[in-house]
Amino acid sequence: MANEGHATTKPDENPILWVTRPMATAARQFTKSLWRPSTIVYPYERLEDPGFRSKVGVASGVPIGVGPIWDNYRGVHALNIATCISCNLCAFSCPDLCIEMVTVPGGDPKHPKKCPEIDYGKCSYCGFCSDACPEGCLTMTTRYELSTPKRSEMVYSPEKLQQVFQHKLPMNPIRIELPKNEDSILLDPPLCIGCNACARDCPTQCITMLDIPKPDPRPGEKTPRRIWKEPVVNDSDCVRCGTCISVCPKECLFWGAPK
Amino acid sequence: MATLTLYSVAYDIARGLLGVLGSVLPAGARAVVLSGDAVTGLAVLVFAAVLLAASMLNTILLIWWERKLLGRFMDRRGAMHVGYAGLLQNFADGLKLFRKHTFPPREADGLGFYFGPTAYMVTSLAIFGILPISSGWNSGALPLSLLLALTIFSFAPLFIFVSAWSSNNKYSLMGGLRSAAQMIAYEVPLLLAVVAVVVLAGSFDLTTIVYEQRNYWFWGPLFLALIVFVAAMLAEMERIPFDLPEAEAELVEGWNTEYGGMLFAFFMLADYLRALVGSILVVLLFLGGWTLPSWVPAGLSSFPLAGILWFMVKTYAVFGLFVWVRASLPRVRTDQLLRVGWNRMIPLALLSVFLAAAVVTVRCVPVLGCVPSMGA
Repeated sequence: MANEGHATTKPDENPILWVTRPMATAARQFTKSLWRPSTIVYPYERLEDPGFRSKVGVASGVPIGVGPIWDNYRGVHALNIATCISCNLCAFSCPDLCIEMVTVPGGDPKHPKKCPEIDYGKCSYCGFCSDACPEGCLTMTTRYELSTPKRSEMVYSPEKLQQVFQHKLPMNPIRIELPKNEDSILLDPPLCIGCNACARDCPTQCITMLDIPKPDPRPGEKTPRRIWKEPVVNDSDCVRCGTCISVCPKECLFWGAPK
Repeated sequence: MATLTLYSVAYDIARGLLGVLGSVLPAGARAVVLSGDAVTGLAVLVFAAVLLAASMLNTILLIWWERKLLGRFMDRRGAMHVGYAGLLQNFADGLKLFRKHTFPPREADGLGFYFGPTAYMVTSLAIFGILPISSGWNSGALPLSLLLALTIFSFAPLFIFVSAWSSNNKYSLMGGLRSAAQMIAYEVPLLLAVVAVVVLAGSFDLTTIVYEQRNYWFWGPLFLALIVFVAAMLAEMERIPFDLPEAEAELVEGWNTEYGGMLFAFFMLADYLRALVGSILVVLLFLGGWTLPSWVPAGLSSFPLAGILWFMVKTYAVFGLFVWVRASLPRVRTDQLLRVGWNRMIPLALLSVFLAAAVVTVRCVPVLGCVPSMGA
């Protein structure tokens, strides 16, 4: 028998059924979708459109199997440039390295204001950046229409992300409020050379360099220390971005429990 | 009122065109242009042009019809963006294919490579010169028009095989072999089913066959032959479930693997032309052609061009049946295909021939009525 090994057909079944049964199924499907197939005519109908939802008979907010845009949908980012503190945490947290901090007007020459520029060609929409943002100025929105004929247009400048924010699209930005890092920035005083890098780069400017008395020379020190200053972190203003730790040339700043 | 026929329309168009041409010519040339021979000659050309345009337009509409129906069978919509309900989508596709370059494979046989699709297309078009569309809308009374149509229809395996062979590609060749085997296997039951119709109608002329169905359509007494004819026609058209030579899901398009651009469009169009011919033949042989049953109100069939309208409705409905089969059934295997063709179809077709002979012998069918030309 040619069909041996195939369990799909029952030998005692009338072969006529092999023809009539699928045809009946197809006819049933045909009559069901004759008036309105299940497909959503996307550019003309949108799931989130209330008119469309009333047409297919679903109250807004109630998910139908192919429901509305869910509240926790992660689409294009929205950026509020005004509240951005240029802390770089979004770029730090990005697993795809698609965020680059670019200068935007509004900062002073000593502290240029830098805001995220996102390359959606690389972005995986994980949302870590908006979770990491201490000020809540970078959020994911439910906007999903990104298609463009050019790759260069996939890179959204801060201004473009600001426009998404200004559109006030009918979408609910979600953001997981991460528990604030209990640790503080601590200093290992003997290593510090008082270079001011941490205070210069702190986005919230919560680090001030305070004068200290002339310290004792470190063991094996050839030239005596010339700058008698040490950073002091204002713990309530700190957003725990870690910029100071990463810029410290002597690795004398570290995380630790405050005393 | 003289009946409107295709030839009279073509003749009037030709006379009008030549009249316009003659009015701007000097008197000597005008006499030549307006002579009967010139008008008749141009009328034949116009006749052919009208047939060509009608067949191509219907073919493209048929593709649209299949796409829309298949969409509904699959719970989607089919083409819908270009033109109203996607009517112009296939024209756009054709235009795209028309603009494409055709690359013959290296060491392909150039003559066969170009001759195959062209001949396939031309023979498929030629059948339309034979099929009557309505009373008067045909190319004259051909006593053996059914035989001629089926003869041209059966040329196809040759051209498919030629183009598959000259593609210089083993997949094309295998597809061509399968196609030829399939078409030959189903040629016999197809013709036997037609024999049943011919026995009942007593003629090979398609117009006469339709005329003989004025008491009852032949699908009643010859239901068996109808089933055999439709199944064999599906195999001849290489449509699902008998599309193994092409098998788009698992093979590389079978015998037209190496074809692109307009040559591929030729194959595509010719396939649908043959599907159209198949549907038309089913309508002509079994469903009463352009006539309506006698219990239908006369108003439905007495307005001008009603015959063509009902003919088109029936043709598209029959093609809808083919689409329904395509949406339902999976593809069969080669051995199943050939076994069904030789072992099942031929006995069934022979049985239907005997049935037709029995009907002719007793002259009348209990419920339906009598065979008209032999009528009691």
